[in-house]
Amino acid sequence: MKYLKISIPLLLTLALVYVLNRSWNFGAPIPPLGKFLDPFHGFWQNAETGKVKDGELNLAGLKDKVTVVYDSARIPHIFAQNDEDLYFAQGYITAIDRLWQMEFQTHAAAGRVSEILGNVALDYDRRQRRLGMVYGAQNGLESMSKDPISKMTVDAYTAGINAYIATLSYEDLPFEYKLLDYSPENWSNLKCALLLKSMAQTLNMSDKDMEITNALKLYGKDVIDILYPDQEPVSDPIVERPGQWKFKSPLSDSIPLAVPTELIAARPYEKPSPDVGSNNWAVSGSKTASGAPILCSDPHLNLSLPSIWYAIHLNAPGINTMGVSLPGSPAVIIGFNDSIAWAMTNAQRDLVDWYQIQFKDAGKNEYMSDGAWKPSRKVIETFNVKGGKPFVDTVTYTHHGPVLYDESFHGENERAHYAFRWIAHDPSEEVITFYKLNRAKNHAGYIEALDYYSSPAQNIVFASAAGDVAMRIQGKYPVRRKNEGRFVLDGSKTSTEWQAYIPNEQNVMDKNPARGFVSSANQYPVDFTYPYYVTASSWEAYRNRRINQVLAASSNVTMQDMIKLQHDNFNQRGADALPIFLPHLDPSTFNEKEKEAYEHLKKWDFYNNPESEDAPYFAAWWQQLMPMVWDEMDSAHVAMQYPTGFNTIQLIKTQPNFSFFDLVATPEKETATDILRKSFSASVKFIEDWKTRKNESLTWGNYKDSYIGHLLRQKALNIPVRSSGGGSAVVNAHTQTHGPSWRMVVSLEKSGVKAIGVYPGGQSGNPGSPYYANMVEPWAHAKYYTLRLATSPEQLTGYQSSTTQLTPSK
Amino acid sequence: MNFLKQLVATALLCLALQYFFPWWTLVIGAFAASYWAGNKAFMAFLAGFLGVALLWLVAALVIDLQTQSILTDKVAQLFPTKTPALLLLLTAIVGGLPAGFAGMTGAIASPRH
Repeated sequence: MKYLKISIPLLLTLALVYVLNRSWNFGAPIPPLGKFLDPFHGFWQNAETGKVKDGELNLAGLKDKVTVVYDSARIPHIFAQNDEDLYFAQGYITAIDRLWQMEFQTHAAAGRVSEILGNVALDYDRRQRRLGMVYGAQNGLESMSKDPISKMTVDAYTAGINAYIATLSYEDLPFEYKLLDYSPENWSNLKCALLLKSMAQTLNMSDKDMEITNALKLYGKDVIDILYPDQEPVSDPIVERPGQWKFKSPLSDSIPLAVPTELIAARPYEKPSPDVGSNNWAVSGSKTASGAPILCSDPHLNLSLPSIWYAIHLNAPGINTMGVSLPGSPAVIIGFNDSIAWAMTNAQRDLVDWYQIQFKDAGKNEYMSDGAWKPSRKVIETFNVKGGKPFVDTVTYTHHGPVLYDESFHGENERAHYAFRWIAHDPSEEVITFYKLNRAKNHAGYIEALDYYSSPAQNIVFASAAGDVAMRIQGKYPVRRKNEGRFVLDGSKTSTEWQAYIPNEQNVMDKNPARGFVSSANQYPVDFTYPYYVTASSWEAYRNRRINQVLAASSNVTMQDMIKLQHDNFNQRGADALPIFLPHLDPSTFNEKEKEAYEHLKKWDFYNNPESEDAPYFAAWWQQLMPMVWDEMDSAHVAMQYPTGFNTIQLIKTQPNFSFFDLVATPEKETATDILRKSFSASVKFIEDWKTRKNESLTWGNYKDSYIGHLLRQKALNIPVRSSGGGSAVVNAHTQTHGPSWRMVVSLEKSGVKAIGVYPGGQSGNPGSPYYANMVEPWAHAKYYTLRLATSPEQLTGYQSSTTQLTPSK
Repeated sequence: MNFLKQLVATALLCLALQYFFPWWTLVIGAFAASYWAGNKAFMAFLAGFLGVALLWLVAALVIDLQTQSILTDKVAQLFPTKTPALLLLLTAIVGGLPAGFAGMTGAIASPRH
């Protein structure tokens, strides 16, 4: 009897332990509540006060003593005695703050998110595998392992991360592991390669080859050239040296336009936001107050938490460099040393092509190439989906690359097979670039370092204490023939393939131009005398003009002036568009609210300042206008892409009776005037709705409603930013979710380099740390942190918050 | 009196166990304390429950106060709890329940029962 009586509470106890010790998914995932809420090991242990004590760590794998001084912004200053220890410590220290992010981002790159989040991520994961992300990373890893410098760098960095992972028990795990109930696996060199490939993916994948091929089929070549011109009439390319390019393209033919027999029915993946972009510039000493060059950088990316960047200072014999690193990759990516500074913006160039593949039969074992059947290669991909059965996918590789779309994935008929060719599939040596850039002493050192750089193509700005400023648009570029790369290509003919690459020394570059500065903002790279055909999905048309206008008009430039320019809220698109748009309206027909909106637009000074009550009206109008103009593309029900905003404004100005201004849904024949009036009225309604819905004052900051989003897209972990202005087509490129992910200003004075920087996040990736988002408000208010390039730990006395000694364990 | 004895013993034993071992070892602590105290089944449940619930509540509250709710606020939003106070309450209940049943088991097993 007693045993029976015991068994009931005993079973209840055991059942409770079981239920509370594992995660569940009832529509929404639930963490293992017992483990997670346990104040002694669970999430409570991730809450930090921010006070860090000095410490000493004994680590196997170190050769010598390493001193790590954290400054008041929690930026680690690492002082090592040799290169191996330096990168080992970089790995170890970065992992302390960012381990979960590092692993999550590389899982995302490799198509392994469904292992963590379950079925919801399966489609995303399949796309990643079918894009050949791991294939590209393996090729990258192979070249990394061949070179002794990159092998040493990556080996040491990986060893450092793994040394940290080895110290972890459940209570030390980053918060997100506890929330999602999994644990970190060992780091590997492949993950470093994956991280670089995922950066290339962010920056290369906005191609519109399929979309524009559909447009060609639907509208014909003449209309295509109007909708998507190769070059828009924007002034100010990055480099202007007309007539000075002393070489010729080896290929002078053009790719014949092959109008497809049917529309492409594949549903292409979501493109990176057009707000991914960047600014950088360097001003010569001739234009600065100090006489020393000043270099500025602000890369625009999806603003996320943990932040994409991790600020760090690396010091060892032969190297003293500071700036931001990408957690998961060794070295400083954007930064400076005591002699030079460098920074990147995306070069936009088209480095992605799609080849239609003709398979012999449904088995897809052979495909047509120049009149013969070529064997394909099959790769079996397994997805260990959390809470479900493993999913198996077969990816077919051709010599072009993997077949992304087919009937089993986003392709809607059996003939839709598209193989993917991407420059980032190729072996490359970026690790050497950053190793050398971090140590470069002058312009020659910068040029040498960049010779190793192939992907993702970047506009890399440079300035030196010796007084040089320079720009180089570096990457590995296929030699494009006219029209090559704009449309989907015929995969059965090798003549459509990439035939040659532009030699490094023929890439677009410039040094000490007469105007006294170099700058780039994702615009068209070069004057039209450059011998190679240059194409991209789109070029930025606004920020570059504003930056160049301000810099050209400036003299005696100070770091303060550069901070001001990085926060410049002038909306060049608004300034271009409104003088054209407003005369189309007819104020005599306005209702009260429309009158009010019209007055706001008329008096707007074109600044997207956070407190502006006018800027929202233009943004709302623009948002209504674009889909009305390009409604034909939405109603085509195949993949299409709107022409650029710049081109839309041009067409309204120059061809107000262009056929696309007609609304498909109405019997009348609309013109630009009708469209502008309709979209204006719709935008006023939208704004009035906004006012009632939000019950807030209509300022640009409120309307834009920006936030820095956690990688898991959990609102509770996001940080809202209402106090920042800017926007799309504005130098201060801060939109709702994208913007300057790092701002840096470096004055290269001979007496010592002065540098400041800030990013919208914090050094710690832990949502429970005061350093998770502490830089967000300073970032929004143009407050920068001093970046102290000390040569010894002692020089940081007075600025440090704690010191950690790493010593080799015996 | 025995009730209080079991409650305090549960809390102390579980505090010691949790210092070294995973969370679920609290059922061992709660069982042992109750076996020793030998209360009636229902009282044993209550003492076990409160012993760990209070232990967890105090431990979590100390962290919450020290860190100015920096993470409690966010996690409370992630859960249907919404407020830190309710999250603290949930923490106490989640710790308390298995301890309560373990306490009940210990009491029934106890020779003093």
